[in-house]
Amino acid sequence: MKIFKQIIMKKQTGRSNLILLLLIFFPVILFAQNTITGKIVNGTTGETVPFVNIVEKGTSNGTTSDIDGNFSLDAKSLPTIFVFSSLGFETQELNVNESKSVTITMQESAAALEEVVVTGLASSVKRSNLANAISTVTSEELVGNTGQTTVDGALYGKVTGVNITSSSGAPGGGFALRLRGISSINGNNQPLIIVDGVYVNNVEIPSGLRFASGGNRGNEENSPNRLADLDPNDIENIEILKGSSAAAIYGQRGNAGVVIITTKRGKGGKTKISFSQDVGFNTIQNKLGLRPWTAESVENTFGAAERAQYEATIAANGQLYDYEDEIYGNKGFITDTRLSATGGNERTRFYVGGSYRDEEGIIENTGFDRLSLRANIDHRISDIFDFTSTTNYVRSNSSRSFTGNENEGGLSYGYTLAFTRPWVNLYPDANGNYPNNPNYPGNPIFVRDQAKNDDSNNRIIQGFKLNTKLFTNDANRLRFVINGGIDYLANETYVYVPETHQAQIGGQEGFIAQGKNNFTQFNSQAILVWDHDALGGDLGLTSQLGFTYLDQESNLVNSRGSNLSAGQTNVDQSVNQVIDQFISSEEDSGYFAQVEGNYKDRFIATLGYRLDKSSRNGDPNKLYGFPKASLAVNFTKFNFWKLEAINQLKFRTAYGETGNPAAFGATFTSLGASNIGGNGGSSIAGLNGNPDVEPETATEFEIGLDLGILNNITLEATYYNKNVRDLILSRSLPGSSGFTTETTNLADLRNQGVELAVRADLFDIDNFKWNTAVQFYLNRSEVTRLDVPAFAQPGAGFGTGLGTFYIEEGQPVTQLVGNIDGELVQVGNVEPDFQMAFNNQFTILKQFDFSFLLQWKEGGENLNLSRFLTDLGQTSPDLETTEGQDRLASPANAVRFVEPAGYVRLREMALYYRLKRANVKSWFGNVVENVKLGVSARNLFTITDYSSYDPEVSVNGGAGLSSGIEVAPFPSSKQFYFHLNVNF
Amino acid sequence: MKNIINKTLRYTLMGVFSAMMITSCSIDEVVDPNGPSVGGVLTNASKAQLNELAIGVESTLRNGLGVEVTASGTMARELYLFDADPRNTGDLLGKNGIALDNNSFYSTSQWNGSYRAIKNANLLIEAANNTSAINEEELSGYLGYAKTMIGYELIQILKSYGVARVDVADANNLGPILNINETLARVRTMLDEANVNLNNAGAAFEFPLSSGFSNFDTPSTFIEFNRSIAAIAAVYEGNGTAALTALTDSFFGLTVGLTVGPKHVFGLGGGDQSNPVFRIPSISASEPNNGDQIIVHNSWINDAEVGDTRVTSKTAVRPTPSSQDDLNGTNETRLYASNVTPIDIVRNEELILIYAEASILAGNLQDAENALNVIRNAASLPNYSGNQTVDELTTELLNQRRYSLWAENHRMFDLRRYDLSNTLPIDRAGDQVFNVFPVPLAEEN
Repeated sequence: MKIFKQIIMKKQTGRSNLILLLLIFFPVILFAQNTITGKIVNGTTGETVPFVNIVEKGTSNGTTSDIDGNFSLDAKSLPTIFVFSSLGFETQELNVNESKSVTITMQESAAALEEVVVTGLASSVKRSNLANAISTVTSEELVGNTGQTTVDGALYGKVTGVNITSSSGAPGGGFALRLRGISSINGNNQPLIIVDGVYVNNVEIPSGLRFASGGNRGNEENSPNRLADLDPNDIENIEILKGSSAAAIYGQRGNAGVVIITTKRGKGGKTKISFSQDVGFNTIQNKLGLRPWTAESVENTFGAAERAQYEATIAANGQLYDYEDEIYGNKGFITDTRLSATGGNERTRFYVGGSYRDEEGIIENTGFDRLSLRANIDHRISDIFDFTSTTNYVRSNSSRSFTGNENEGGLSYGYTLAFTRPWVNLYPDANGNYPNNPNYPGNPIFVRDQAKNDDSNNRIIQGFKLNTKLFTNDANRLRFVINGGIDYLANETYVYVPETHQAQIGGQEGFIAQGKNNFTQFNSQAILVWDHDALGGDLGLTSQLGFTYLDQESNLVNSRGSNLSAGQTNVDQSVNQVIDQFISSEEDSGYFAQVEGNYKDRFIATLGYRLDKSSRNGDPNKLYGFPKASLAVNFTKFNFWKLEAINQLKFRTAYGETGNPAAFGATFTSLGASNIGGNGGSSIAGLNGNPDVEPETATEFEIGLDLGILNNITLEATYYNKNVRDLILSRSLPGSSGFTTETTNLADLRNQGVELAVRADLFDIDNFKWNTAVQFYLNRSEVTRLDVPAFAQPGAGFGTGLGTFYIEEGQPVTQLVGNIDGELVQVGNVEPDFQMAFNNQFTILKQFDFSFLLQWKEGGENLNLSRFLTDLGQTSPDLETTEGQDRLASPANAVRFVEPAGYVRLREMALYYRLKRANVKSWFGNVVENVKLGVSARNLFTITDYSSYDPEVSVNGGAGLSSGIEVAPFPSSKQFYFHLNVNF
Repeated sequence: MKNIINKTLRYTLMGVFSAMMITSCSIDEVVDPNGPSVGGVLTNASKAQLNELAIGVESTLRNGLGVEVTASGTMARELYLFDADPRNTGDLLGKNGIALDNNSFYSTSQWNGSYRAIKNANLLIEAANNTSAINEEELSGYLGYAKTMIGYELIQILKSYGVARVDVADANNLGPILNINETLARVRTMLDEANVNLNNAGAAFEFPLSSGFSNFDTPSTFIEFNRSIAAIAAVYEGNGTAALTALTDSFFGLTVGLTVGPKHVFGLGGGDQSNPVFRIPSISASEPNNGDQIIVHNSWINDAEVGDTRVTSKTAVRPTPSSQDDLNGTNETRLYASNVTPIDIVRNEELILIYAEASILAGNLQDAENALNVIRNAASLPNYSGNQTVDELTTELLNQRRYSLWAENHRMFDLRRYDLSNTLPIDRAGDQVFNVFPVPLAEEN
């Protein structure tokens, strides 16, 4: 970015503007004595390269290549040197002695290290000068191997310092990202997600399902998180600011880290059309299987009458019914079709794309589909103004059926299957009548076929950016940037349980919940950026000063009806109707200033400060300050550096602070509706509001080393220490106060961790290329201050009886504690000991690409409460063994259900074949440019000691402290794909 | 021309930017868009606001009722709850030696539920005392109502937990947790104060009560409810004479219908609650409800006197016996006909038994025997034929309470206060008998 910027800016004075324009438009008419003309081609593809910057070295004389890669430049004097540079290509020089026509071959820049990384709100630096460990995931890394449904799900094994939790295996979302550990106990733990400058909404929207299932809270409804609306294939790259030191400039929205997503943009030149088609299927990753019943064990467990039924079923069918296979055994068909066009001229570049993904789940009648349309336009109005517009419309639908925790709803499959005895016939008869389940109030086949839990979303994400060059001279460039955007989401949820459902008869008599939920988020910022070259160009200074504003509104309406008219699916057709509504409104504003200095690429230092206020704080107009500072030293840029083998040795250190205000509503002590016999009453709600609540503040210190060896090995090592002060705690109040919780700032938390990443191009010979990346990272947390007695975190577990997250000074925030013989004992910790990822890519015989990604999570425990259910229903697969029976005879406490949750998983594996160019040409002529075919798989195998479906699990959704507790989850799937990719 | 436009635009943008930087954007304090604030009703509440609080007290009186009945009933071997939560047949019966947990639903649900109602009543008292919208007489009505409800809830807490916290009006300065006798003394004083208030409250309340309080919805008739609770409190304190005095002003009567008394009513509308003790009956052998069912403890069936109609009216024989977690039962509940059937708060049947108990305590054994015969005859049983001694009549009294008040959160407390918990049967090897819930963990905070 930087090189391009300088050249264009230097050309902006007076008449040279006109000349530049003429140079661009009429390269042919300006023939003169010293004119060099030529064509620039891509060394890899042979295509022409447009918009390459060509400058006569040591002068301000320059031009750019036109759309067809042609250029013409008048040298001021001969001999001279022309410098050719373009983003994504190695810069090269050409000695020019005479007027002539040349062909320049530009090589694509091999080192990802030369990419630029966004560090300020309107500035970026070269990765080699970066002072933070900012992870970048490119499009190729994200979706290049295999098909991906959601962005967060696609990040497994690709970023150090991230912990991804899956709360549901249903297609279309249910993930949570944790960057560098837990940063909040009750506040937000999901990173801020910014797509093309727009703060996007990643809510989990409750559906009201709990009013039929008896679930305790909205977060047990297994709603997807709405990042699922973003098509991962639209993404050009993702930058992940993991800690406060990198994210400080985002102030009080940056505590859980920031994920900056840039979508694909037009590159200009000839219009290119790309078509991709994926076809695949979902299938269950891991089946638990049936308990191997014998007639004796049936009789011993349930008595002689059940034995007779068991024997009758065996006699009739020769085997037992396998309801696990019936429910979870679906092969879900997946199609993903994408079509995009990119092109443009020197003033306007565009990327227009559309995609449609349709994915069926491993449970019949579940699935996810998403239509995404995108138009990204970059336009240069004049030499002074340019703007960017990104528009994304998404329509997505999902059907997630019923999983997770419930209380006697007869809906959640994990519950139903735990109690269903496999000799009982639950299949509908010839008239379509489903038998009642004699052992649980729900027939899973009925639920699968007749009950619904759907959502649909219409969403527009619109980003804009206007860039104004206010002033330019040799040493100063002043820009003014306005950018921001709107994310509007209209979500509908629909839950339907027919009145003929077993648990509904005599009770609710049928249930419908229709949710209509609107979310509008608006963010904008105005920034002045001043680039100044000091010390004769040896010191580059980039200063910025800006203002930000954020407004988020939501309005959630849930209408529920029970006692339905026979067969009716409209809330209107119900006797009892309940409506509830939740409105929220948040406003933030802030100021920031930042100065970056770069001395000869040797020392790169940054100082910044942000001031923020928010309506979610106790005092909405109090400004909170968030400073940052960083320093990077590139030893290899010093003159004394002679060691050729080491081409990069960078020491970096950074410090920064971020914040996080309390959740909306924490300041209110409100009365809720509590009605009786038609009289409308008020009752205090459980929350005791805290009008003095402050934001929690994280301070992070990071130190690291980047090493580049022999041009083909890079190593990044980072240590961080992140302290969160004044943690927002929703602590339990004595129930006798009438309240159950209160939001306080009474604790501190520390996360420390190490991140290592090694990349190597091990082989790079003609017929064999192999590059590998290894990541290793770990995090340790500790509650360093707790000014209230230790407490069981409300809503994160099922009490100390079965095990719960327990906030205790001196202990990890992720510990699981249970009541064992009257003593509270730490029984586990969901934090992994460490995580590793091995990513390998091979190119064999030039046309074949083979890759695989292996992920290893070592250590960490889960609380497997699904087993509690199957033990109670006597259906756990191991109950024919003495171990199983011994467990059954042991007290039902947390020790019994805690299990190691480490695993090794083949996340991705792919094999692609690129048709030879010659073949493509002979078969399709010039219409088709290249064709790629491939097969791939996701989650192909997992090695784990965990006894349930998947150690990646969370019954309480993605928010807060949630991971690692399992109750009747949607089992996760593995996926197989066939890919076809054609470029025109 | 272009340059001029550019320049103008540039300077305009600069101006806008400077303006934004200088004019600090002030953020308005957000008022809760989702409900009224507590602060808003504590000073100068309108009558409508007071009445909403009063209704809220009656409404939240139902909080925690379901778990209170099923958990204490399980511990007292009256019933089992066969549902998907294994703790109902595990923890509560002390399975495999496990202890009760002070941070599980069974230990927190009733405590938090009852104190929510008490908090609402305390808010009502504070709001009523801090407004000019009502006169003295009206104020007395609100106060008498609120204090009576607090007294009632504290007794419910004592029955389950054996202790209670009485001074809870100030959430930031909670009083100590008191033992049963200290609490009962405070409850009786509070109920007496309420009685005085109600006597000064004129002819009618300013607030509406639900149909559950029909015939008890004026100050003078609400006193009958207040006095019945006072009688119960006195009996639990062991003071028969005081109980008998209180009963004279209550709705107690040996010839009054057994079901007379105020009730919790239920509804399925918004903000309302359904009957949490109702369970879907098993319709037939082909359609039994085996999922979420209250199964009668077999001992309750087997120990019943022959012909006791309470056995057949409160329970029904299941099409097939039920078993879960190595526990078995032949009968299931029929206590409530639907999920909106009212639950008695206190009914004359209980008051007759309280009268009998108070009479035993006061040494009026013939009165006790007469009262017990009313109960026996109502259940189609012949008159009491045992000896007229304190011990035997007490045994008979507890037995009648066992059948008259089945699954209404009495048995566990009755056995505890008469030190008879150890007489309960053990169903599985390794089970234990618990007779009191642990105070929730959060009370230590």
